[in-house]
Amino acid sequence: MKKRSNVLASFVTWPIVLLIAFPLLWMLITSVKPAAELFSTSPTLLPKAITFEHYARVLQDTPFLQYFANSMILATSTTVVVISISVLGAYSLVRFAYPGRETLASLVLFTYLLPSVVLISPLYLMLVSIGLANTLASLVIAYTTFALPYALWLLRSFMAGIPQDLESAAMVDGASRIGAFVDVVLPQALPGIISTALFTFILAWNEYLYALVLVNSDEARPLTTGVMTMLISAFNIEWSLLMAASVLMSVPLIIIFAFFQRHLTSGFGAGGVKG
Amino acid sequence: MVQVVFEKVSKAYGDTVAIPGLDLVIESGEFVSLLGPSGCGKSTTLRMLAGLEQPSSGSIRIGDRDVVNLAPAARDVAMVFQSYALYPHMTVAENICYPLKKRGVAKADRAIKLAEVAALLQLEPLLARKPGQLSGGQQQRVALGRALVREPSVFLLDEPLSNLDASLRAHMRAELIELHRRLGKTMVYVTHDQLEAMTMSSRIAVMRAGELQQFAPPDEIYNRPANVFVAGFIGTPAMALADGSLADGGGHLVAHVGPLAVALPYAAGTRPDAVTVGIRPEDVLVGEGPWQAQVRLVEPTGYETIVALDAGGLALTARVPGSNALRVGETVAFDLRRERIHLFDKSDGRRWEPAGR
Amino acid sequence: MPDIALQRPGLSRERRDALLGLLLIAPTVLVLGAVIVYPLLSAIALSFQSVYTPTLEGHWVGLANYRELLGSGGFWAALLTTAIWTAGTLTLQVLIGVAMALLLHQNIIFRSLARSLVLFPYFLSTVVAVLVWRWLFNDLYGIVNHALMTAGVIDAPVNWLGAMPNAMLSIMVVGAWKFFPFVVIAVLARLQTIPEALYEAARIDGAGPISRFFDVTLPQLRDVLTIVILLRTVWDFKEFDLIYLMTGGGPVNGTRTLPLIVYQQAFGLNQMGMAAAYAVSMMLVMLVFMLAYLQRARKAAA
Repeated sequence: MKKRSNVLASFVTWPIVLLIAFPLLWMLITSVKPAAELFSTSPTLLPKAITFEHYARVLQDTPFLQYFANSMILATSTTVVVISISVLGAYSLVRFAYPGRETLASLVLFTYLLPSVVLISPLYLMLVSIGLANTLASLVIAYTTFALPYALWLLRSFMAGIPQDLESAAMVDGASRIGAFVDVVLPQALPGIISTALFTFILAWNEYLYALVLVNSDEARPLTTGVMTMLISAFNIEWSLLMAASVLMSVPLIIIFAFFQRHLTSGFGAGGVKG
Repeated sequence: MVQVVFEKVSKAYGDTVAIPGLDLVIESGEFVSLLGPSGCGKSTTLRMLAGLEQPSSGSIRIGDRDVVNLAPAARDVAMVFQSYALYPHMTVAENICYPLKKRGVAKADRAIKLAEVAALLQLEPLLARKPGQLSGGQQQRVALGRALVREPSVFLLDEPLSNLDASLRAHMRAELIELHRRLGKTMVYVTHDQLEAMTMSSRIAVMRAGELQQFAPPDEIYNRPANVFVAGFIGTPAMALADGSLADGGGHLVAHVGPLAVALPYAAGTRPDAVTVGIRPEDVLVGEGPWQAQVRLVEPTGYETIVALDAGGLALTARVPGSNALRVGETVAFDLRRERIHLFDKSDGRRWEPAGR
Repeated sequence: MPDIALQRPGLSRERRDALLGLLLIAPTVLVLGAVIVYPLLSAIALSFQSVYTPTLEGHWVGLANYRELLGSGGFWAALLTTAIWTAGTLTLQVLIGVAMALLLHQNIIFRSLARSLVLFPYFLSTVVAVLVWRWLFNDLYGIVNHALMTAGVIDAPVNWLGAMPNAMLSIMVVGAWKFFPFVVIAVLARLQTIPEALYEAARIDGAGPISRFFDVTLPQLRDVLTIVILLRTVWDFKEFDLIYLMTGGGPVNGTRTLPLIVYQQAFGLNQMGMAAAYAVSMMLVMLVFMLAYLQRARKAAA
């Protein structure tokens, strides 16, 4: 049953797959339908005409590009900060022995499950008091609250899978502890680091609540809250614009997903993702 | 050419004592095997020598330096791991040169050393490959090469052959023996395989539960095992061991074991109350003799036949040369080579030698 | 440059090693301490105060917030709503997730493409997911109503998000759509490690496909499902973005879950202290659940 294609299963599965993918396909279709076609009470499945005017409007007439740039800076910075800290931390948790190590590991797990809503008020207060309210920096700080425990957990699993003999061999061969880490562990952990980096980027790109609470000016606003603001501010809900914006917003995700799917799903064996 | 000395070395993990206290002196240029069942502490001992584990107390000297506080990199040892531990992201050439790089050896010199080692181990065609593209035997040779390239004082080998298949293992054993002969370096070899230990070592350190049982050349280990454990551990098929006692049979020593009364060619003098009697299969002579036994199992190996005997409740194994017509259930006569019977004091398991032996 | 560690009298190697380990984890500890531990403790402290959000002025009120919270009924209603939402969407996530994993485990045509399409919703932003579904559920122009009317299932457009129980059902469905791929990935990974020999032995023993599923597959999946259910329950319970953006908690608080109340208290009613009290209570509920769940799971595994 493994060698040749299972035709029966294909006939059962593909309709379901298409049903699941339908909302996204509909989003795409809607984004290229002219406005007139959009607002009829009997919507058509395939557009009679295709237009890119909505995309043009989103890019030209709204702060979309500003939001996009903000999201890019935000997600990249968060990823860099989180990965730097968690690579060292994960290595420490996996290969060293010191009092309190197990407690730390359990604490990391606990924070992984913590609701963000608990932290929004105190974080808001904290960031206002140090004068960082309404800045991208405040978001980077806030995002580490969920990105760091998660990155630690993933990297810990990846690093635990690297045979300890390799580091032992490196040390006998003449490397110091740190030398063994750089020469052997980092190259071996690279797929795991890439996975974790991609996940962190996606998490930061998609985050909404903290952006909602901590930032309310367009200069620092990322895409998630930005696009929703475009919804609220208009009297008429501009669905065509919103669909186009949604598609554009998802472009980095589509790219990452298309090229790095294997990397992303390997992380699940290692402990799961933030929901 | 350096001596390796373990002095009162102990290792405990929390409350569990793995090694209570080890004293061992390995002479310069020796090939010493640490032999024993799993969990006996042989790998731990090797790793303490390498610097990968710290002894809880005691001192370890390599040459005239106490190395306990030295990092592995500073001890001038090289190690071959059971898993080979080749760096997967580096080529064979890079793997072998890594120790030289870490020691700041110049590029030109590295290339020379690499060529020497590659020639010695026939690794030239493999230099550009990654470990994942090599067979087990090839990986093993690369691991050896990486150890050799530094010309360290002591070589440490942690069960390097156990991941190879039988024929390759035999071949590599011969190569390692030849290598030791050529280099004359001190080698410490960990294994659970007696054949490897017996064929390769100048001396074998038999260990059990963290304690040294006997440290002697192979032939002494085989012919004069220091205690019941070593006697039963070394030798295939295993030595038959049974409880017995010694008596004075008119001036001679008589061993009573099972239903047998075995006259021994020694004078009866002071002797332990209870003994464990050991008889190796090759010392059981089937065919003629004063005693009878029933054949329980017959295993022909082509060269000889291994026969399990039941002599009135006493279980013995015998090696009968060639193939023969022995059948299960048959009764045979047998004798024992009296002067080859081993005696161990039952109170402490130690070897007991009668006066005059 | 030689890379050899020097002998240093005084500190044993084990000590030096432990220090290095501590050094490596120090940044993590500092950051987590600053952004999680400290705010968490602040939140607990906040819950005993009454704080006016715009001015951030507050005063101590002791247990008053909690008394009001427990007595007002708002908490209990929201807890029930959260429980219903969690149970509903979790059931869908697990059922659909396991089913899709089983299907994707088979050798279907264009399997990797199917996998990609099925998994993608999980990696989408909740904002995008919500926008798409709100458009689908739109009463006038949404295609869901149109399709159902054309199929004759309903006569008139349904108000999916503005009436109960539609709104609750709608968010359950959207939650299932968004999060079930997590179940798929975890279960699929486990399925791929079940040895074929187990199925062959069952087949030889005369087991048909249904009993093979219940007797071979399901027991093998038990471990991964235990973890998946725990994680998804916790994450669904604390989900804010999806519900807030879909219905805002409406209609008339019909879908107002605990996370939404916390947000509303803090930034709608400007009562940060009260919001903190709600948040802490919510956390306690989750903690009790997690402990009870883990204990049951441990007992079942033994």
